[in-house]
Amino acid sequence: MTLSVKIKKALGSFDGGNSQSTGPDTGSLKSQRSAHSEKFELEVEFEVPPGFAILFGASGSGKTTTLKSISGIVRPDAGCISIDDEVLFDSGRRIDLPIRRRGVGYVFQDLALFPHLTVQANVEFGMSERPHSDRRRRAEAMMDALRISHTARRRPGEISGGEAQRVALARALTCKPRILLLDEPLSAIDEATKLGIISDLKSLNCELRLPILYVTHNREEAISLGERVIVYERGRVVARGEPIEVFGTPITTSVARLTGVENIFAGLVVGKSETGGTMTVEISDGSGVCLVDVPFGNEALGEHVTIAVPSGDILLATEEPRSTSLRNRLSGRISAIEDKVNRTVVSVHAGVTWNASVTRQAVKELGLSEGKEVWLAFKTHSCYLLDQTQ
Amino acid sequence: MAEIDWFPLTLSLRVALIATAFVVIIGVALGWLLARRRFFGRELLDAAVTLPLVLPPTVLGYYLLVLLGRRSPVGHAIEAITGQPLVFTWRGAVVAAGIGALPLVVKTSRTAIAAVDTNLENAARTLGESEWRVFWRVTMPLASRGIIASAMLAFARALGDFGATLMVAGNIPGRTQTAAVAIFDAAQAGRDNYALVLVLILSAVALTLVYATNKLTIDRR
Repeated sequence: MTLSVKIKKALGSFDGGNSQSTGPDTGSLKSQRSAHSEKFELEVEFEVPPGFAILFGASGSGKTTTLKSISGIVRPDAGCISIDDEVLFDSGRRIDLPIRRRGVGYVFQDLALFPHLTVQANVEFGMSERPHSDRRRRAEAMMDALRISHTARRRPGEISGGEAQRVALARALTCKPRILLLDEPLSAIDEATKLGIISDLKSLNCELRLPILYVTHNREEAISLGERVIVYERGRVVARGEPIEVFGTPITTSVARLTGVENIFAGLVVGKSETGGTMTVEISDGSGVCLVDVPFGNEALGEHVTIAVPSGDILLATEEPRSTSLRNRLSGRISAIEDKVNRTVVSVHAGVTWNASVTRQAVKELGLSEGKEVWLAFKTHSCYLLDQTQ
Repeated sequence: MAEIDWFPLTLSLRVALIATAFVVIIGVALGWLLARRRFFGRELLDAAVTLPLVLPPTVLGYYLLVLLGRRSPVGHAIEAITGQPLVFTWRGAVVAAGIGALPLVVKTSRTAIAAVDTNLENAARTLGESEWRVFWRVTMPLASRGIIASAMLAFARALGDFGATLMVAGNIPGRTQTAAVAIFDAAQAGRDNYALVLVLILSAVALTLVYATNKLTIDRR
């Protein structure tokens, strides 16, 4: 099963997703358009084969509107949406299937659990056509699989955020959807619970093999789940591909920022060596300056450039890494250590402040702590010269 | 005070109950339409439905007489179908009381329905539910407090209708004389004790209902 999407829709500067619960859809979009001079058009085209596809981008870039268009809650101005051969929406052929006939499972950003029903009734909600015993059996199996059986008799107001997330997922899956849409499902959940749900989502994915479109602006989630990433910016797809490609080779400054490349610096070309294949760039941030070697390019001496270094490409060492091919070796002092979902970000002040991603294990083995002297090392080719047009 | 005639009071209760039943069905449907559907003339419809609240009851009664009278096509049709005319019967009193109560139900249920998160209704739709079932399984239960409150207000209003009832149903003791009309009659004829008994009973019922309505709507969230 493959989902194909090609849509156009005029938007306000916010993608409506966060504000739509306050009013009817068309009304809030209209009022946003008049309230914000900054408006743009959502115009995207992509396909989602079975497996996770991450819709990645800043809030207000049109991600939620895309999900709402696929599910039929929002009607695009033009375009075509289909699952395999079945057309859900086609502006040219005037096809617009009602929401209930689309077979689209949707986990809303605010979950939208029915507050007047128990967890069990929420999970059974979409199976009202089936006989009672069948309904109960399937709901129980699904609650078991998602480890929420103990909440069956409680109401959504009486369970934790992580449990509520699983209930919403169970409710969507018991209807046997053909595709699954997840709108920032983990945004309001603590890190430990997140890891559990991510691993459950992964095993569900292996089992079901549905096209799953997962909206997030969190890089860790995108990397842990994504088989494909589609990067949105102001209503356009600006990058797509495997997470490694997309997050590893930032093309523009905005993509680099969006995809969470933590090290982006403005600099000046101060040396060029064509034979060595490198250029030396003096970079600076508010806290100081430092020299790095970057790949040889067309930039002239004295030209302003922007370079990006993915945090995962930076190696940390407790003593100077001498005999390696790494051209960039900087010594500095750890200024902060921050735990993220699946990695730890170590900030090191070495002329400028660098962020390096390492595992918790590495932090432990190297005995890293704030104030400790360390060496940073990375390859010339880990320094990307960014296109500054955007 | 020799003997109290309870007929006007029982008639009023019966008229108010039946009027409330009709008005809640029609009023909630209109309230849903106004809260959830966008169509040309939506606010005009809202204004038209609100009119009974602000028009003099005699104007309302006059419209109903013209519309439902024996010489009007509608009145004629009703008489042909039911075998009885509507005007100057207790059924006429039901219509008069119902029209007066309609704006209360429409306004209150529109507000209650508009307050239900549309995301919840959309979630139900993605789970395969039709509009009709979304209404019964999601919208209605979540708006139920407001709708019950609107029904109680409607009952209180219908119980007290005077002007329109007098014009459409008349003042026929033992047949169409409701409590509100009987109080007028009794006060005119100097039967003050009888008037007072009915006045106190109607006041107590109204106070109870309005109090309960407030409790229901204010305790919300």
